[in-house]
Formats: sequence, C-alpha cells, structure tokens
Amino acid sequence: MGKYVLKRLLHGVVSAVIVVLIVMVLIYSLLNRNTIMAGDPNYSKLQSNARITYEQSRYEAYGYQDYVPYADYLIELQRGGEITEEDRATAATIGRTPEKDNELAAKYIQQFTETYQSQGYEVVRLDADLRGNGQVKDGGQAALYAVRDIPLINRAISYFADMFFIDNVHYVDDAVDIGERGITFTWYDPVYNPTGTENVFSPAIIGNGTMHKYLLYFDNEFPWLHQNILTLNLGESYTVNRGVDVFTTMTASQGSYVLKPLTYPDTGLTEDSADNLHTATYAAGSREINGVYVERFGDDYTNVITHKVAKSKLGFSFVIGIISTALAYCLGLPIGLLMARHKEGLLDKIGTAYIIFIIAVPSLAYIFLFKSLGGRLFGLPTLFDMDTSGTNHLMYILPIVSLTLPSLANLMKWMRRYMIDQMNSDYVKFARSGGLTESEIFTKHIWKNAAIPITHGIPGSIIFAMTGAIITERVYSVPGAGNLLTQAINKYDNSVIVGVTLFYAVLSVIAIILGDVLMATVDPRISFTNKAR
Amino acid sequence: MEYDYKNLGLSEAELFAFADHNDMESEKITAPRYSYWRSVFRVFFRKKVNIAILGVLLFVIAFAYIYPSVTNYDPYANLLDSNSKHLSPAAAIKYFGFDLKWILGAGASGEPTFDAIWNGSRISISLAFLCAAINMTVGVCIGAVWGFSKKVDAVMMVVYNIVGNIPMILIISVLAMLFAPTFWTMVFALTIVGWIGIAYFIRTQVVIIREREYNLASRCLGTSTIKIAMKNILPFMTSVIVTLLATELPSYISYEVFLAYIGLGMSEMSLGRLIFSAEAAMVTPGWEMEFWSPVAISAIITIVLYVVGQNLGDASDPRTHM
Repeated sequence: MGKYVLKRLLHGVVSAVIVVLIVMVLIYSLLNRNTIMAGDPNYSKLQSNARITYEQSRYEAYGYQDYVPYADYLIELQRGGEITEEDRATAATIGRTPEKDNELAAKYIQQFTETYQSQGYEVVRLDADLRGNGQVKDGGQAALYAVRDIPLINRAISYFADMFFIDNVHYVDDAVDIGERGITFTWYDPVYNPTGTENVFSPAIIGNGTMHKYLLYFDNEFPWLHQNILTLNLGESYTVNRGVDVFTTMTASQGSYVLKPLTYPDTGLTEDSADNLHTATYAAGSREINGVYVERFGDDYTNVITHKVAKSKLGFSFVIGIISTALAYCLGLPIGLLMARHKEGLLDKIGTAYIIFIIAVPSLAYIFLFKSLGGRLFGLPTLFDMDTSGTNHLMYILPIVSLTLPSLANLMKWMRRYMIDQMNSDYVKFARSGGLTESEIFTKHIWKNAAIPITHGIPGSIIFAMTGAIITERVYSVPGAGNLLTQAINKYDNSVIVGVTLFYAVLSVIAIILGDVLMATVDPRISFTNKAR
Repeated sequence: MEYDYKNLGLSEAELFAFADHNDMESEKITAPRYSYWRSVFRVFFRKKVNIAILGVLLFVIAFAYIYPSVTNYDPYANLLDSNSKHLSPAAAIKYFGFDLKWILGAGASGEPTFDAIWNGSRISISLAFLCAAINMTVGVCIGAVWGFSKKVDAVMMVVYNIVGNIPMILIISVLAMLFAPTFWTMVFALTIVGWIGIAYFIRTQVVIIREREYNLASRCLGTSTIKIAMKNILPFMTSVIVTLLATELPSYISYEVFLAYIGLGMSEMSLGRLIFSAEAAMVTPGWEMEFWSPVAISAIITIVLYVVGQNLGDASDPRTHM
C-alpha cells in the first residue's frame, strides 16, 4: 500500500508540474500583455519615450521579461567599483541621437550593448522625441535599455527551485555587519520575557543572519508550535496583495488591527501595537530609512505581520466549507437512505423534486433565491462583515446554507442510487429469506455496502472546503479564498494565478489519493496492489 | 400423476393425431414486432406529464427563436428618454401603453425586459445546444476508443489528470482575452476541454460493459471489434448517453450564467449577462423584475430541458419497454 501511494504521489507531482507549465504558457505566452496597460492609470498620463520605458518596466514587474535600463547598469558598475561617481553621471547622459553622445557615454553604451546582446537581450535605443521648435517633448528624453523575454524553461526552473526556501545564516548579505551570525536556543522566548524578569517558560530558536528572526516558537494560535525554517514560496503577488506571497495572502488574518499593549524586547518600549514579533523578517537598512523602527527594534528584523481581528481567507472558507460539508453528509446520507427505503413514497418524491431543482436551476439563481428568502423571512444578515465576524455568528448561516444545498442534493442522489442498486443484489434476497427484518437489512447490510463509494469523496470534500466557493463568497461578500483566482485573473497578477493553480492541483492530487486509501481501508475487498489475497 | 385420458370421450385417432410439421412455419417468430425507437417514444408518451413538459419545452424554444426575429428589439431605443428607465410592469404599461413587451417592465436603459429575456434565451439556448452537440459527439467517440484500447487509456489518463487540474475559468479568461469575448469564443472555450469529462464518463461505461460475458462470447465467435462496438455496446449505452445529454444541456446555460456573473461572460446579452448586469437591481425596491425575470426564465429552461432529457433517458432503457 505504501509503495502504491508513493507511486501515485509521484505521478501527482509530475502532473502538477505539467499543469504549472501549461498555465505558464497560457498566461505568459498566449495572453496579450498590452491589456495590462488598459487598466493602468499612470500609463495614460505618460507620453512619448517615457511611456515606452514605463511599459517595459511594468512588464518586468508582472514577470514577463528581464528589463535593464542603461542607468541601472551604470549604477551596478559604480557599486562594483569599476566607475567613479563623476564618470557615472557623465556616462549616464545620453545624447539626443547616437552621434551626439559624449565620449565616455559612447564607450559605456558600447559596452552595455555588447554585454547584454551576448546574453540574448535586445538592446533598444530611443532617440529624443523633439517638438517642431527643436525642444524635447515631455517624457521625450532619449532612452536606452536592454530587454529579454524570460524563456519558459528558465521561468519554470527558477519557480520550482525557489519554491522551498530553507532559512540559513547567510541569508543577509555577507557584506552587511549584523554582529555575530548564528542560531541560538533559548528556554525563555524574549517576546514573552521582554525585560528578562518575567521568567515565562517558552522555548524558541532565534537566528541572526537568517531571513526570519524566530525559527521555531510557541504561541496561542493553532497549531501552537510554529516554524520558519522551511518556507513555501508559491509566487509573490504584484497587484492583488503587493509583495506578499500567495500562501501568506491566503493564510494571513484580515480586517482591522487588534491592538494590545506590547513591550518590545530590544528597546523596552511599551505601546499598544498589533505587531506579531514572531513573524519578524529581515528588511535591509529599514531602521535607517524609517526612524520609527529605531525606538522599537534593536536590529533590522523589522518586517512583521500584524494581528488582525478576522480569520484568514482560507480560514473563512474552511469554517464555512467544513460546516456545510458536515451538514450535507449528516443530512444527505440518512435522507438518501430513507428515499431508497420508501421508494416511490412521499419523501422520495419530494427529495427527487429537490434534486432536480438543484441540478437544473443555475446555482446563481437559487443562491440569490435563498439570500432574499433568508433576508426577508428570517431577518438573517445577507452580507458578511469581517470585523464583527468573531461575535455575530448569524452571518455565517446563509453562506453555509447556500453551500450545503448543492452538496446535499448530490449526496442524496448518489446515496439513493447506490442503495437501490444494492437492494436488488442476491445477498439482500438471501438475508430477507433468512428472516431478517427490513430495517436490519437496510442498516446492517445495504447501508454498509452503499456507503463504500460515498467514502471515496469524503477527503475531497473536506480538502476542497478550504478553497472556497466562488459564487457563494461573492454573493455574500465573504472574504474567503474562493475569489482569489478570479481576482488575480482580473488584475493580471500572473504569479498569483500560477501559485493558486499549483495549490489547487496539489490539493486535488492529495484528495484523490486519500479517497482511494480511505475506500480501500473501509472495504477490505478493494486492493490497489496486485498481491494475491 | 396418472392422467385419465380414457374418460375424456375422445377417440383413439383424436388422441394420437400426427401434428403437421412445416419447416417454414418454424422459422416464424411469434413474438410481437419490436422497434426500439418506437418503443422509446411509446414509453415516453405513455406519461401525460411528459407530453405537457415537452410542450412547454417546444413552446419556450419556439418562442425564443421566433419572438425576437419578428419583433425589432433594440435595447437602446429609449436610451435618451430618462422617464423610461427602471419601470415596474404597471408603470411601464401606463407609460408606454399596453403591449406584450412591457408586461415585465423596463430595464436600465429603458429596454423592455420581456424582449430582453427572450433575446437572451435565444443566445443561451443556442450556446447550450451547440456546445452539447460538439462535446457529446467528440466525447462519445473519443470515450469509446479510450475505453476499448488499453494503450490509449494509459495516455488519456495522464491527459485527463492534467487537463482536469487546469482551472476552467483560467482557460476561458485566456481565450476571452486572446479573441474578443464573442459567442463563438465562448463556444470554443466551453468545448476545447469540455469533451474530456464526457469522454471519461463514457470510457468508464465502456470498460464496465466491455468485460461482460456476452461480449466475451462475441469476441470468441470472431466478431470484429467495430461490430462489437456498434452492435453490442452502443445500443447498451443509448440510455446512458441520453441521460448524460439531459444533464449536459442545462449545465451549459448554468455555466454561462456563472461565467457572466464573475465577469467572464460574452459580449452578447445572454441570460447570464442580463443577470450579471441587473444584479444591483435585485436589492432596489421596484426594480426586482429586471433581475428575477432572467433568473426565472433560465431556471424554467434548464428544468424543462433536464426533466425531458431524464424521462427520455428512462424511456430509452429497453428494460422499461415491457
């Protein structure tokens, strides 16, 4: 069994990788990237050459290409010590046309062109855009840049190579002096012992030179023990949630800040803050740029996630999804059983009508129907409010009901079908002729056999409770994970699209394997290995 | 038990007469003539409710195709008349005078809601029929091959696992951006991967039936694979295919509504687009008709299609023909 599951997992991983490749082809090669500019307010304000260079820089930000402006190249040279500050300024002045370049600029432009052309870049030089009177137009200054589309293979390799990040003490640039690099273990977590006198016992591993300050720590949030040693990078968001990883976007809490008195261990400052110090990551030079950090932090581990009132996107989707799944199974299986037991009876007829209603009517239609019914007849809240979601549980009712309805109908349909199929089998006739009562036959024999195919779907419905439902969440404005993909598509957030797709693909692979394993566990007759029984 | 034939009052000759033996006579089959499709329709029309629902279906389809073509529907005819917008049925009849097209009121740009929903129905029904025709044809053919050949099965399972994991909305939005979001783009988007689910379903059915004893016997007697497929398996699958069609047809209308709602719909004013654009009207007192009319008509169309299809599927199962 273990070997079989491993084989299936490997197959699943391979197909998930292919899915990512296909999605990358779809969004990076097939989609017309110009459409991004249609929704960009800055683009329409720019003119002439400035507009072209802006466009190129956007394409780089959205992950389509590598883009190197000439000025950046010179700054890089200066940083490497190959060119002095004065020379850089002179060399950066590009003439209106190539003939008008100064000597130094011509030399470096030549060098720039050769370097990047040898790497497969296309070097573009835009001559100054002049008005009739010989003056340069707004944004019409001459420009020079190198640009290269990222090849699919490179993109895919770097995506998968960067996906798992193992934190290490060389994460911070070795040139930066941050004191002694290393990993220390403490029994007394400084976050709980800011002044060193509290003696709150809480083990933690703290790194210096690593990306995360706290590599292992305890807190009061599920699952209590947290690690930052291995982090998952599914792709950094650009428009949906700027600069944040897809996975963090899905799992970070939302809503307004929860302010609590907090004492910063480094400086001893006490104030009302929402900072979760355990999530601190390194932000180079942040205390120099932003003076506020100086009075709070003793090092550059200043980038923290904040505590917010409401659950994460996955959290909301999961709570709503899991309750509705549980409801659907608790109601659907017994109702399906009774429908089969009293076939052609009143319950069977009502149930069948309900199933037809759910299958045939567009889901949008009945969700809206239940929304207006629930709102008018029962006075339930029809819109979700993140900030009061912790206290007002009534607003969960309508989304849960809307989500339960279709899965309930589906379970009723299949349960009834499987029960009726089993009712005609020989073992049932034998049991009946042996004198068992109908209810004994149903609960002890038919039910057990009919439930086997149903168990196959259980892991899937639990796992997919997390991913949320697009329409339900939209109609009730639930801040869940269901809309992340559509949101990303509408905002051209390519790395989020790839990340979310990969996440879903992996979940569905796991769900199918778990379903098979569960089915084989429940029914000893089913075996996935060829071993003779 | 000994039978007392002596007291029957029959003569010896009568008791032991030779029966005629005729070779031709024994070739005749005495069972009543059986025609499959005639029986299907006999069973289907035996239920009066089926006739009624089929009538509703034909009426809706005929109305959706004839009504927009005989009336000149111009959604922007009253655009400049600011008094004509968002009228309740009563207000619209009062304002424009009684006409069939005002019985559901007027919409956001003063267009008659009644005309709009029938126009939308025509687009949605066309989409559903076209997509179902393409997907079912391709899906059933490929599914049959898929189920028969073990080599094809190995390849197709990989393809199925991969394609099944690509989010459908991603494919549709990519296509909608590649081409203009027109009717034909939508057909293309719904059919490019839509067949694979049907093919997988058919494949499973074929695998189940393929190994039955009567096919094994048929193969032992030297029947060619094509003949087994056409004569042994396809008739067995008819009711499955019809039942599948019954769920597929309404599903395209529902799916189109769903896509339009999340903003990926086509540019034509289909039922989905109508629902999408009238969403705000649902919560505005007096404007509800604009929202509920397309919702109601799409529900009616899908329910009727589904029920007719299901009952036709039941009737096409030969076991119900007795």
